[in-house]
Amino acid sequence: MSFATKSLFSEQLVFKGLKQGLTLFIPEDKPFTHWLGVLDEQLERAKSFFRGGSILVELGERKLSPRELSELKAVLTKYQMTIKAFNPLAKKLFSARMKMDEPAPSGVLLVKGTVRNGQRLEHNGDIVVKGDVNPGGELIATGDIIVLGVLRGIAHAGVRGNVQAEIIALTLAPVQLRIAHIYSRAPEGMEVGQGPEIAHIKGETIVVERL
Amino acid sequence: MAARVIVVTSGKGGVGKTTTVANLGTGLALRQKKVVMIDTDIGLRNLDLLMGMENRICFDLINVAENECRSFRQALIKDKRVENLFLLPASQIKNKDALTAEQMVRIVDELKEEFDYILIDSPAGIESGFENAVAPATEAIVVTNPEVPAVRDADRIIGLLQAKKIYEPLLVLNRLRSDMVKKRDMLDVDDINDILAIKLLGVVPEDEQIIIATNKGEPVVFNQQSKAGEAFRNIVRRLEGEAVPFMSFNTEPGVFGRFWKMLHGR
Ligand SMILES: Nc1ncnc2c1ncn2[C@@H]1O[C@H](COP(=O)(O)OP(=O)(O)OP(=O)(O)O)[C@@H](O)[C@H]1O
Ligand SMILES: [Mg+2]
Repeated sequence: MSFATKSLFSEQLVFKGLKQGLTLFIPEDKPFTHWLGVLDEQLERAKSFFRGGSILVELGERKLSPRELSELKAVLTKYQMTIKAFNPLAKKLFSARMKMDEPAPSGVLLVKGTVRNGQRLEHNGDIVVKGDVNPGGELIATGDIIVLGVLRGIAHAGVRGNVQAEIIALTLAPVQLRIAHIYSRAPEGMEVGQGPEIAHIKGETIVVERL
Repeated sequence: MAARVIVVTSGKGGVGKTTTVANLGTGLALRQKKVVMIDTDIGLRNLDLLMGMENRICFDLINVAENECRSFRQALIKDKRVENLFLLPASQIKNKDALTAEQMVRIVDELKEEFDYILIDSPAGIESGFENAVAPATEAIVVTNPEVPAVRDADRIIGLLQAKKIYEPLLVLNRLRSDMVKKRDMLDVDDINDILAIKLLGVVPEDEQIIIATNKGEPVVFNQQSKAGEAFRNIVRRLEGEAVPFMSFNTEPGVFGRFWKMLHGR
Protein backbone atom coordinates (compact mmCIF):
# COMPACT_ATOMS: atom_id res chain seq x y z
CA MET A 1 0.00 0.00 0.00
CA SER A 2 1.30 3.39 -0.89
CA PHE A 3 -0.49 6.67 -1.01
CA ALA A 4 0.04 10.35 -1.33
CA THR A 5 -2.44 13.12 -0.94
CA LYS A 6 -3.87 14.25 -4.25
CA SER A 7 -2.33 17.27 -5.83
CA LEU A 8 -1.27 17.48 -9.41
CA PHE A 9 1.52 19.95 -9.33
CA SER A 10 3.06 20.20 -5.97
CA GLU A 11 5.86 18.00 -4.77
CA GLN A 12 4.94 15.40 -2.25
CA LEU A 13 6.52 13.11 0.20
CA VAL A 14 5.61 9.47 0.20
CA PHE A 15 3.96 7.71 3.12
CA LYS A 16 4.07 3.94 2.94
CA GLY A 17 2.49 1.30 5.09
CA LEU A 18 5.36 -0.97 6.07
CA LYS A 19 4.97 -3.88 8.44
CA GLN A 20 6.53 -1.80 11.21
CA GLY A 21 3.94 0.90 10.65
CA LEU A 22 3.16 3.94 8.55
CA THR A 23 6.45 5.32 7.28
CA LEU A 24 7.38 8.72 5.92
CA PHE A 25 10.17 8.72 3.35
CA ILE A 26 12.40 11.77 3.24
CA PRO A 27 14.59 11.67 0.11
CA GLU A 28 18.23 12.63 0.25
CA ASP A 29 18.37 14.59 -3.00
CA LYS A 30 17.23 17.95 -1.66
CA PRO A 31 18.01 19.85 1.52
CA PHE A 32 16.11 18.83 4.63
CA THR A 33 14.48 22.23 5.08
CA HIS A 34 13.02 21.94 1.60
CA TRP A 35 11.32 18.68 2.49
CA LEU A 36 10.10 20.10 5.78
CA GLY A 37 8.22 22.79 3.87
CA VAL A 38 6.73 20.20 1.56
CA LEU A 39 5.70 18.06 4.50
CA ASP A 40 4.03 20.96 6.26
CA GLU A 41 1.92 21.81 3.20
CA GLN A 42 1.09 18.22 2.57
CA LEU A 43 -0.09 17.60 6.13
CA GLU A 44 -2.04 20.84 6.12
CA ARG A 45 -4.04 19.54 3.17
CA ALA A 46 -4.66 16.14 4.68
CA LYS A 47 -5.00 17.21 8.29
CA SER A 48 -7.80 14.94 9.33
CA PHE A 49 -6.15 11.90 7.83
CA PHE A 50 -2.89 12.09 9.72
CA ARG A 51 -4.02 13.70 12.93
CA GLY A 52 -2.94 11.90 16.07
CA GLY A 53 -0.84 9.32 14.26
CA SER A 54 2.48 7.94 15.33
CA ILE A 55 4.74 7.35 12.35
CA LEU A 56 8.12 5.99 11.37
CA VAL A 57 10.56 8.12 9.41
CA GLU A 58 12.97 6.72 6.83
CA LEU A 59 15.96 8.97 6.35
CA GLY A 60 18.25 6.67 4.39
CA GLU A 61 21.82 7.84 4.84
CA ARG A 62 20.84 11.28 5.99
CA LYS A 63 21.83 12.28 9.51
CA LEU A 64 19.74 14.86 11.32
CA SER A 65 21.22 17.58 13.45
CA PRO A 66 19.47 18.17 16.78
CA ARG A 67 18.04 21.33 15.28
CA GLU A 68 16.68 19.57 12.20
CA LEU A 69 15.19 16.92 14.43
CA SER A 70 13.38 19.43 16.57
CA GLU A 71 12.10 21.21 13.46
CA LEU A 72 10.75 17.95 12.13
CA LYS A 73 9.11 17.23 15.47
CA ALA A 74 7.64 20.73 15.52
CA VAL A 75 5.99 20.25 12.13
CA LEU A 76 4.58 16.88 13.15
CA THR A 77 3.38 18.21 16.49
CA LYS A 78 1.38 20.83 14.63
CA TYR A 79 -0.72 17.98 13.30
CA GLN A 80 -0.63 16.04 16.57
CA MET A 81 1.71 13.47 15.07
CA THR A 82 4.63 11.81 16.78
CA ILE A 83 7.66 9.82 15.69
CA LYS A 84 7.67 6.19 16.72
CA ALA A 85 11.06 5.28 15.27
CA PHE A 86 13.57 6.07 12.54
CA ASN A 87 14.83 4.14 9.54
CA PRO A 88 12.67 1.03 9.54
CA LEU A 89 14.46 -0.11 6.38
CA ALA A 90 17.77 -0.41 8.13
CA LYS A 91 18.68 -3.92 9.28
CA LYS A 92 17.91 -3.14 12.86
CA LEU A 93 14.97 -1.02 13.89
CA PHE A 94 16.47 1.74 15.91
CA SER A 95 14.26 3.05 18.61
CA ALA A 96 13.33 6.64 18.03
CA ARG A 97 14.95 7.45 21.33
CA MET A 98 18.33 6.11 20.29
CA LYS A 99 18.51 7.52 16.81
CA MET A 100 17.16 10.92 17.66
CA ASP A 101 20.58 12.35 18.37
CA GLU A 102 19.27 13.76 21.62
CA PRO A 103 21.32 16.69 22.76
CA ALA A 104 24.08 15.50 25.06
CA PRO A 105 23.10 15.64 28.73
CA SER A 106 23.88 19.08 30.06
CA GLY A 107 25.36 18.05 33.38
CA VAL A 108 23.83 18.42 36.81
CA LEU A 109 20.97 20.72 37.68
CA LEU A 110 21.43 21.89 41.26
CA VAL A 111 18.23 23.01 42.94
CA LYS A 112 18.62 25.00 46.12
CA GLY A 113 15.62 24.86 48.43
CA THR A 114 12.29 23.13 48.57
CA VAL A 115 10.52 21.95 45.44
CA ARG A 116 6.92 22.70 46.31
CA ASN A 117 3.48 21.54 45.28
CA GLY A 118 2.83 22.60 41.69
CA GLN A 119 6.51 23.05 40.82
CA ARG A 120 7.95 20.81 38.13
CA LEU A 121 11.58 20.62 37.06
CA GLU A 122 12.71 18.88 33.89
CA HIS A 123 16.34 18.44 33.07
CA ASN A 124 18.41 16.68 30.46
CA GLY A 125 21.01 15.23 32.82
CA ASP A 126 21.05 14.62 36.58
CA ILE A 127 19.10 16.60 39.17
CA VAL A 128 20.35 17.29 42.68
CA VAL A 129 18.02 18.99 45.17
CA LYS A 130 19.44 20.60 48.28
CA GLY A 131 16.15 20.47 50.15
CA ASP A 132 12.86 18.60 50.13
CA VAL A 133 10.53 17.69 47.32
CA ASN A 134 7.00 18.12 48.66
CA PRO A 135 3.84 16.26 47.64
CA GLY A 136 2.74 17.66 44.29
CA GLY A 137 6.32 18.61 43.33
CA GLU A 138 7.86 16.79 40.36
CA LEU A 139 11.38 16.06 39.19
CA ILE A 140 12.01 14.68 35.73
CA ALA A 141 15.55 13.84 34.62
CA THR A 142 17.14 11.89 31.81
CA GLY A 143 19.78 10.86 34.34
CA ASP A 144 19.81 10.33 38.10
CA ILE A 145 17.87 12.17 40.78
CA ILE A 146 19.41 12.91 44.14
CA VAL A 147 17.45 14.59 46.91
CA LEU A 148 19.41 15.82 49.91
CA GLY A 149 16.26 15.94 51.98
CA VAL A 150 12.87 14.28 51.98
CA LEU A 151 11.42 13.13 48.67
CA ARG A 152 7.64 13.18 49.04
CA GLY A 153 6.65 14.17 45.52
CA ILE A 154 7.15 12.43 42.20
CA ALA A 155 10.55 11.59 40.77
CA HIS A 156 11.10 10.24 37.28
CA ALA A 157 14.72 9.32 36.54
CA GLY A 158 16.05 8.04 33.21
CA VAL A 159 13.01 9.47 31.50
CA ARG A 160 14.32 8.76 27.98
CA GLY A 161 14.70 5.08 28.71
CA ASN A 162 17.87 4.90 30.77
CA VAL A 163 17.25 1.83 32.94
CA GLN A 164 20.53 2.42 34.77
CA ALA A 165 19.22 5.64 36.28
CA GLU A 166 18.86 5.85 40.05
CA ILE A 167 16.88 7.84 42.57
CA ILE A 168 18.55 8.61 45.87
CA ALA A 169 17.10 10.51 48.82
CA LEU A 170 18.05 11.08 52.42
CA THR A 171 14.47 10.14 53.18
CA LEU A 172 12.51 8.38 50.51
CA ALA A 173 8.76 8.89 50.93
CA PRO A 174 7.47 9.49 47.42
CA VAL A 175 3.94 9.10 46.13
CA GLN A 176 5.34 7.44 43.07
CA LEU A 177 8.72 6.52 41.64
CA ARG A 178 9.47 6.15 37.97
CA ILE A 179 12.67 4.97 36.36
CA ALA A 180 12.81 4.69 32.56
CA HIS A 181 9.53 2.99 31.59
CA ILE A 182 8.84 1.45 35.01
CA TYR A 183 6.43 2.97 37.51
CA SER A 184 6.05 2.09 41.12
CA ARG A 185 3.54 3.26 43.66
CA ALA A 186 4.44 3.20 47.30
CA PRO A 187 2.65 0.36 49.04
CA GLU A 188 -0.19 1.43 51.32
CA GLY A 189 0.82 2.02 54.89
CA MET A 190 4.50 1.68 54.08
CA GLU A 191 6.60 3.21 56.78
CA VAL A 192 9.06 5.83 55.67
CA GLY A 193 12.56 4.42 55.84
CA GLN A 194 15.09 5.80 58.24
CA GLY A 195 18.19 7.07 56.54
CA PRO A 196 19.27 7.41 52.94
CA GLU A 197 17.86 5.03 50.38
CA ILE A 198 18.38 4.28 46.74
CA ALA A 199 15.81 3.18 44.17
CA HIS A 200 16.84 1.41 40.98
CA ILE A 201 15.59 -1.14 38.52
CA LYS A 202 16.13 -4.81 39.21
CA GLY A 203 14.63 -7.08 36.61
CA GLU A 204 11.33 -5.43 35.75
CA THR A 205 10.62 -3.66 39.02
CA ILE A 206 11.91 -0.77 41.03
CA VAL A 207 13.52 -1.83 44.29
CA VAL A 208 14.40 0.41 47.20
CA GLU A 209 17.47 -0.33 49.29
CA ARG A 210 19.36 1.30 52.11
CA LEU A 211 22.30 3.23 50.87
CA MET B 1 7.65 56.35 57.01
CA ALA B 2 6.63 53.68 54.56
CA ALA B 3 4.19 50.98 55.53
CA ARG B 4 4.92 47.30 55.73
CA VAL B 5 2.65 45.82 53.09
CA ILE B 6 1.58 42.32 54.08
CA VAL B 7 -0.75 40.05 52.13
CA VAL B 8 -2.63 37.35 54.04
CA THR B 9 -3.34 34.39 51.82
CA SER B 10 -3.89 30.62 51.83
CA GLY B 11 -4.92 28.97 48.59
CA LYS B 12 -7.65 26.96 50.26
CA GLY B 13 -10.79 28.80 51.30
CA GLY B 14 -12.22 29.16 54.77
CA VAL B 15 -9.00 28.56 56.70
CA GLY B 16 -9.07 31.89 58.56
CA LYS B 17 -7.50 34.60 56.39
CA THR B 18 -10.12 37.21 57.12
CA THR B 19 -10.13 36.34 60.83
CA THR B 20 -6.35 36.75 60.85
CA VAL B 21 -6.45 40.13 59.10
CA ALA B 22 -9.14 41.47 61.46
CA ASN B 23 -7.21 40.37 64.54
CA LEU B 24 -3.76 41.44 63.42
CA GLY B 25 -5.08 44.77 62.23
CA THR B 26 -6.84 45.39 65.54
CA GLY B 27 -3.92 44.06 67.57
CA LEU B 28 -1.42 46.29 65.80
CA ALA B 29 -3.65 49.33 66.21
CA LEU B 30 -3.98 48.54 69.92
CA ARG B 31 -0.20 48.95 69.98
CA GLN B 32 -0.52 52.45 68.53
CA LYS B 33 0.37 51.45 65.00
CA LYS B 34 -1.46 53.11 62.14
CA VAL B 35 -3.12 50.33 60.18
CA VAL B 36 -5.26 49.97 57.08
CA MET B 37 -6.82 46.65 56.12
CA ILE B 38 -7.78 46.11 52.49
CA ASP B 39 -10.40 43.51 51.63
CA THR B 40 -9.74 42.24 48.09
CA ASP B 41 -12.32 39.48 48.18
CA ILE B 42 -14.54 41.18 45.60
CA GLY B 43 -18.10 39.92 45.63
CA LEU B 44 -17.61 37.97 48.86
CA ARG B 45 -16.55 40.67 51.22
CA ASN B 46 -16.76 39.97 54.92
CA LEU B 47 -13.86 41.70 56.62
CA ASP B 48 -16.29 44.56 57.29
CA LEU B 49 -18.63 42.13 59.08
CA LEU B 50 -15.87 40.77 61.28
CA MET B 51 -14.98 44.34 62.17
CA GLY B 52 -18.61 45.35 62.75
CA MET B 53 -18.31 48.06 60.09
CA GLU B 54 -20.80 46.86 57.52
CA ASN B 55 -23.34 49.62 58.06
CA ARG B 56 -20.76 52.34 57.53
CA ILE B 57 -19.62 51.49 54.02
CA CYS B 58 -20.09 54.25 51.47
CA PHE B 59 -17.34 53.64 48.97
CA ASP B 60 -15.35 50.52 48.28
CA LEU B 61 -12.12 49.32 46.71
CA ILE B 62 -13.54 49.36 43.18
CA ASN B 63 -14.78 52.93 43.60
CA VAL B 64 -11.27 53.88 44.64
CA ALA B 65 -9.68 51.91 41.80
CA GLU B 66 -11.91 53.64 39.29
CA ASN B 67 -11.51 57.08 40.85
CA GLU B 68 -15.18 57.30 41.67
CA CYS B 69 -14.63 59.06 44.98
CA ARG B 70 -12.81 62.31 45.65
CA SER B 71 -9.93 60.69 47.45
CA PHE B 72 -9.18 57.27 48.86
CA ARG B 73 -9.61 58.79 52.32
CA GLN B 74 -13.31 59.03 51.64
CA ALA B 75 -13.54 55.29 51.28
CA LEU B 76 -11.59 54.40 54.42
CA ILE B 77 -13.79 53.39 57.35
CA LYS B 78 -12.40 54.36 60.71
CA ASP B 79 -12.75 51.96 63.62
CA LYS B 80 -14.74 53.33 66.56
CA ARG B 81 -12.97 51.29 69.26
CA VAL B 82 -9.30 51.74 68.37
CA GLU B 83 -7.43 54.77 67.12
CA ASN B 84 -5.58 54.51 63.84
CA LEU B 85 -7.42 51.50 62.46
CA PHE B 86 -9.01 51.73 59.02
CA LEU B 87 -10.72 49.44 56.54
CA LEU B 88 -10.92 49.73 52.78
CA PRO B 89 -13.82 47.36 52.07
CA ALA B 90 -14.30 45.16 49.03
CA SER B 91 -17.10 45.76 46.60
CA GLN B 92 -20.04 43.43 47.01
CA ILE B 93 -21.71 43.93 43.65
CA LYS B 94 -18.98 44.18 41.05
CA ASN B 95 -17.50 40.96 39.76
CA LYS B 96 -13.95 40.03 40.52
CA ASP B 97 -12.58 41.04 37.13
CA ALA B 98 -13.35 44.65 38.00
CA LEU B 99 -9.96 45.06 39.69
CA THR B 100 -6.46 44.89 38.20
CA ALA B 101 -3.07 44.32 39.78
CA GLU B 102 -1.90 47.74 38.54
CA GLN B 103 -4.79 49.42 40.32
CA MET B 104 -3.93 47.62 43.54
CA VAL B 105 -0.31 48.71 43.27
CA ARG B 106 -1.37 52.31 42.70
CA ILE B 107 -3.80 52.33 45.64
CA VAL B 108 -1.26 50.84 48.02
CA ASP B 109 1.37 53.31 46.82
CA GLU B 110 -0.94 56.17 47.73
CA LEU B 111 -1.62 54.75 51.19
CA LYS B 112 1.95 53.73 51.97
CA GLU B 113 3.25 57.01 53.31
CA GLU B 114 0.47 57.44 55.83
CA PHE B 115 0.43 54.06 57.53
CA ASP B 116 2.69 51.69 59.44
CA TYR B 117 0.92 48.59 58.21
CA ILE B 118 -1.16 47.74 55.17
CA LEU B 119 -2.78 44.32 55.59
CA ILE B 120 -4.30 42.82 52.46
CA ASP B 121 -6.97 40.13 52.82
CA SER B 122 -6.72 37.85 49.79
CA PRO B 123 -9.54 35.77 48.34
CA ALA B 124 -9.15 31.99 48.20
CA GLY B 125 -7.67 30.43 45.07
CA ILE B 126 -4.68 31.15 42.88
CA GLU B 127 -6.37 33.13 40.12
CA SER B 128 -6.58 36.83 39.40
CA GLY B 129 -7.90 37.72 42.85
CA PHE B 130 -4.82 36.21 44.42
CA GLU B 131 -2.59 37.99 41.90
CA ASN B 132 -4.21 41.33 42.70
CA ALA B 133 -3.82 40.86 46.43
CA VAL B 134 -0.16 39.87 46.14
CA ALA B 135 0.91 42.46 43.55
CA PRO B 136 1.50 45.36 45.96
CA ALA B 137 2.78 43.25 48.87
CA THR B 138 6.38 42.89 50.00
CA GLU B 139 5.63 40.42 52.79
CA ALA B 140 3.17 37.57 53.15
CA ILE B 141 1.42 35.59 55.85
CA VAL B 142 0.22 32.15 54.79
CA VAL B 143 -2.68 30.83 56.83
CA THR B 144 -3.32 27.11 56.99
CA ASN B 145 -5.19 24.51 59.04
CA PRO B 146 -3.82 21.23 60.36
CA GLU B 147 -5.32 19.25 57.48
CA VAL B 148 -3.56 17.65 54.54
CA PRO B 149 -5.43 19.57 51.80
CA ALA B 150 -4.90 22.93 53.50
CA VAL B 151 -1.20 22.22 53.94
CA ARG B 152 -0.86 21.15 50.30
CA ASP B 153 -2.45 24.40 49.17
CA ALA B 154 -0.25 26.40 51.52
CA ASP B 155 2.78 24.73 49.96
CA ARG B 156 1.55 25.64 46.50
CA ILE B 157 0.98 29.23 47.59
CA ILE B 158 4.45 29.51 49.12
CA GLY B 159 5.93 28.45 45.77
CA LEU B 160 3.84 31.06 43.96
CA LEU B 161 4.79 33.77 46.46
CA GLN B 162 8.46 32.94 46.04
CA ALA B 163 8.03 33.23 42.28
CA LYS B 164 6.80 36.75 43.02
CA LYS B 165 9.94 37.46 45.03
CA ILE B 166 8.32 37.13 48.45
CA TYR B 167 10.93 34.61 49.54
CA GLU B 168 10.17 34.33 53.24
CA PRO B 169 6.46 34.18 53.89
CA LEU B 170 5.40 33.62 57.51
CA LEU B 171 3.06 30.86 58.64
CA VAL B 172 -0.03 31.05 60.81
CA LEU B 173 -1.42 27.67 61.77
CA ASN B 174 -5.08 28.16 62.64
CA ARG B 175 -7.69 25.91 64.29
CA LEU B 176 -5.34 23.52 66.03
CA ARG B 177 -7.09 21.12 68.41
CA SER B 178 -4.71 19.74 70.99
CA ASP B 179 -7.05 16.88 71.91
CA MET B 180 -7.00 15.64 68.32
CA VAL B 181 -3.27 16.14 67.91
CA LYS B 182 -2.69 14.07 71.03
CA LYS B 183 -4.58 11.17 69.54
CA ARG B 184 -2.67 11.66 66.28
CA ASP B 185 -5.94 12.44 64.54
CA MET B 186 -4.58 15.80 63.44
CA LEU B 187 -1.27 16.96 62.02
CA ASP B 188 0.81 18.69 64.65
CA VAL B 189 3.04 21.71 64.39
CA ASP B 190 6.11 19.60 63.66
CA ASP B 191 4.43 17.70 60.84
CA ILE B 192 3.52 20.97 59.18
CA ASN B 193 6.88 22.61 59.77
CA ASP B 194 8.53 19.59 58.19
CA ILE B 195 6.63 20.09 54.98
CA LEU B 196 6.32 23.84 54.64
CA ALA B 197 9.68 24.78 56.13
CA ILE B 198 8.91 28.47 56.58
CA LYS B 199 9.06 30.59 59.71
CA LEU B 200 6.16 30.00 62.08
CA LEU B 201 4.51 33.24 63.15
CA GLY B 202 1.98 31.62 65.42
CA VAL B 203 -0.46 28.85 66.22
CA VAL B 204 -4.10 29.72 66.87
CA PRO B 205 -6.23 27.12 68.63
CA GLU B 206 -9.74 26.17 67.65
CA ASP B 207 -11.85 28.44 69.81
CA GLU B 208 -15.59 29.01 69.91
CA GLN B 209 -14.90 32.56 71.04
CA ILE B 210 -13.88 33.28 67.46
CA ILE B 211 -17.32 32.35 66.22
CA ILE B 212 -18.93 34.52 68.89
CA ALA B 213 -16.54 37.37 68.03
CA THR B 214 -17.27 37.00 64.33
CA ASN B 215 -20.98 37.28 64.89
CA LYS B 216 -20.58 40.28 67.19
CA GLY B 217 -18.25 42.07 64.80
CA GLU B 218 -15.64 42.37 67.51
CA PRO B 219 -12.29 40.68 66.83
CA VAL B 220 -11.24 38.14 69.43
CA VAL B 221 -7.97 39.99 70.26
CA PHE B 222 -10.10 42.25 72.46
CA ASN B 223 -11.04 39.24 74.56
CA GLN B 224 -8.56 38.72 77.38
CA GLN B 225 -10.11 35.38 78.33
CA SER B 226 -9.79 33.75 74.94
CA LYS B 227 -6.87 31.48 74.04
CA ALA B 228 -7.25 32.45 70.40
CA GLY B 229 -7.17 36.09 71.44
CA GLU B 230 -3.92 35.48 73.29
CA ALA B 231 -2.51 33.67 70.26
CA PHE B 232 -3.30 36.64 68.03
CA ARG B 233 -1.79 39.08 70.53
CA ASN B 234 1.39 36.99 70.49
CA ILE B 235 1.40 36.97 66.69
CA VAL B 236 1.17 40.75 66.69
CA ARG B 237 4.16 40.99 69.00
CA ARG B 238 6.21 38.60 66.86
CA LEU B 239 5.30 40.60 63.78
CA GLU B 240 6.73 43.61 65.61
CA GLY B 241 9.98 41.77 66.12
CA GLU B 242 9.57 40.57 69.72
CA ALA B 243 10.70 37.05 70.57
CA VAL B 244 7.59 35.58 72.19
CA PRO B 245 7.67 31.95 73.27
CA PHE B 246 5.06 29.74 71.68
CA MET B 247 1.99 28.93 73.76
CA SER B 248 1.72 25.41 75.00
CA PHE B 249 -1.34 23.48 73.92
CA ASN B 250 -0.27 20.46 75.92
CA THR B 251 0.83 18.61 72.86
CA GLU B 252 3.68 16.20 72.79
CA PRO B 253 5.18 16.75 69.40
CA GLY B 254 7.44 14.22 67.88
CA VAL B 255 6.97 11.34 70.31
CA PHE B 256 5.17 9.19 67.77
CA GLY B 257 6.75 8.02 64.58
CA ARG B 258 5.71 9.72 61.43
CA PHE B 259 3.89 7.55 59.03
CA TRP B 260 3.47 7.59 55.33
CA LYS B 261 -0.24 7.63 55.90
CA MET B 262 -0.16 10.90 57.77
CA LEU B 263 1.93 12.64 55.17
CA HIS B 264 -0.08 11.53 52.24
CA GLY B 265 -3.52 11.52 53.68
CA ARG B 266 -4.27 7.94 52.77
N1 LIG C 1 -9.45 29.40 65.37
C1 LIG C 1 -10.74 29.28 65.03
N2 LIG C 1 -11.62 28.64 65.83
C2 LIG C 1 -12.91 28.52 65.49
N3 LIG C 1 -13.44 29.01 64.35
C3 LIG C 1 -12.63 29.66 63.50
C4 LIG C 1 -11.24 29.82 63.78
N4 LIG C 1 -10.68 30.50 62.76
C5 LIG C 1 -11.68 30.75 61.87
N5 LIG C 1 -12.85 30.24 62.29
C6 LIG C 1 -14.14 30.28 61.59
O1 LIG C 1 -13.94 29.74 60.29
C7 LIG C 1 -14.71 30.43 59.33
C8 LIG C 1 -13.82 30.89 58.18
O2 LIG C 1 -12.94 31.90 58.65
P1 LIG C 1 -12.48 33.10 57.71
O3 LIG C 1 -13.66 33.76 57.09
O4 LIG C 1 -11.55 33.94 58.49
O5 LIG C 1 -11.70 32.29 56.62
P2 LIG C 1 -11.15 32.81 55.20
O6 LIG C 1 -9.89 32.08 54.95
O7 LIG C 1 -11.10 34.28 55.17
O8 LIG C 1 -12.31 32.29 54.24
P3 LIG C 1 -12.48 32.67 52.67
O9 LIG C 1 -11.51 31.82 51.93
O10 LIG C 1 -13.90 32.30 52.41
O11 LIG C 1 -12.22 34.14 52.55
C9 LIG C 1 -15.39 31.57 60.05
O12 LIG C 1 -16.71 31.22 60.31
C10 LIG C 1 -14.60 31.71 61.33
O13 LIG C 1 -15.40 32.16 62.38
MG1 LIG D 1 -11.99 35.66 53.75
